[in-house]
Amino acid sequence: MSTRESPRTLTYWIVPLTAAAIGVAYLVAGLVGDDPGFGVTGLLVMLAAGAAFLVASRWSETARGLMERRDERINAIDQSATTFAGLCVIAAVLAMFVVEVARGNDGQPYAALGAVAGAAYVGSLVWLRFRR
Amino acid sequence: MQNSVRTLRIGAGLSQADLAKAMGVSRQTINSIENGRYLPSLPLAISLARHFGATVEEVFDVDA
Repeated sequence: MSTRESPRTLTYWIVPLTAAAIGVAYLVAGLVGDDPGFGVTGLLVMLAAGAAFLVASRWSETARGLMERRDERINAIDQSATTFAGLCVIAAVLAMFVVEVARGNDGQPYAALGAVAGAAYVGSLVWLRFRR
Repeated sequence: MQNSVRTLRIGAGLSQADLAKAMGVSRQTINSIENGRYLPSLPLAISLARHFGATVEEVFDVDA
């Protein structure tokens, strides 16, 4: 599959740089938490993920589109996939909240996570309502 | 919704990659538009129509 060659933009580097930053966060967390194995493994995994995106972008229009953010169809697909993933997470959080309450616990941390999801939805709904 | 992007593109002697480059999108996006799997945004629809010297209504048939 061929791809267009175009100048690299700052946007192009956001995915690998974010992956690297998360890896560094894992490393710091592992070192602080006295679990350097986790930290090093987490860093290596995230660096590999970022590198995989860079390599894939050379032959995959989808990977390239996700990194460049200039293709409206890929952006729409990414938005739909993100929405679906978010709904799956929210559904899992709500399910786990119910399970925890049924076990006689207070439902934490799922209650707090569900509250964050609800507040984020309402907040974005209000924000987008006034912007569109 | 049907469209005449493929007919216009071939008539202009362009490949999907050529048209994609001119529109600033991926070749897959042009392919999806031609096959009716993806409805382009209004700006892209206008750009496509202008590229072929046609109106949006001539390129995209909402009644089909």
